[in-house]
Amino acid sequence: MTDRPTDPLETLFAQARQAPPDLPDDLFARILADAETVDQARHKTVAKSGWWRELGTMLGGWPSVAGLATAAVAGVWIGVAQPVGLNDFTLIDDSETATEFDLVDLMPGFDILAAEG
Amino acid sequence: MQMPRAPLDTCPDAALLVAYGRGDTEAARVLTARLAPRVLGFATRMLKGDRAEAEDVTQEAMLRLWKMAPSWEQGAARVSTWLFRVTSNLCLDRLRKSGRATPLDDADEPEDDAPTVLARLETAQRHLALETALDQLSDRQRQAVILRHIEGMANPDIAQVMDISTEAVESLTARGKRALTAILAPQREELGYD
Repeated sequence: MTDRPTDPLETLFAQARQAPPDLPDDLFARILADAETVDQARHKTVAKSGWWRELGTMLGGWPSVAGLATAAVAGVWIGVAQPVGLNDFTLIDDSETATEFDLVDLMPGFDILAAEG
Repeated sequence: MQMPRAPLDTCPDAALLVAYGRGDTEAARVLTARLAPRVLGFATRMLKGDRAEAEDVTQEAMLRLWKMAPSWEQGAARVSTWLFRVTSNLCLDRLRKSGRATPLDDADEPEDDAPTVLARLETAQRHLALETALDQLSDRQRQAVILRHIEGMANPDIAQVMDISTEAVESLTARGKRALTAILAPQREELGYD
């Protein structure tokens, strides 16, 4: 035995629940056509970016690619701009290096000792 | 050994959507058959019986579902809740643009001597009586009443759809039911109730 709603409004709601509208065939077809169009467009996009995606996966995913890109950009930047601090460490310019070493007084007290005899 | 695939008809909505996002268009077919009739019924009621416009809204809502399928996160929300929310917004936009929107305060208290649009309806047309009465509610009350009492959604889900609190949903449905009772009261005899 099923309980029947005694509230007229509940009865109307129950009747409405039991009678969902039929989906017209042409609307069903249009919705599915949209689904296929969206799916095909998505596959085209994936196919276009397939080579890059494969390379990225081979290198270990986007975190690795991002690190690699950052290192590459930093390398180019150091090579082109040559920050000031690097001058002190460079070994390419021999004359400046030699001058630096010539000017270094390794025994600051020697002259004084020699003069005193 | 390959595991047998579960029949699509028994899969949850979210699993079907993810399957479609991976290229399974058969999943889209099952999802359409399952959800689109409910969306169409809801949109038709929200748009006060304008069936052609409701069909447009249904197609648009389903299109948005297809587009977001690849980024769907299982467990984030129910597919039906998401879909009803999109449908609600599309319907309310169309009602506003066409000037057919019913502000919240307009339908709170029906006038006792208002002409009854249901006077000519026969007992066999109860469903039409309900639809006509629903049309007289404010958009928000109609939305809440349909989702709660016809779609059978839980209040927290309705709150997500309408982007309001659960308490506000309870208030809207209670006021909506009171308004419907008042609208239908003069037709109790015609509707076959004593």
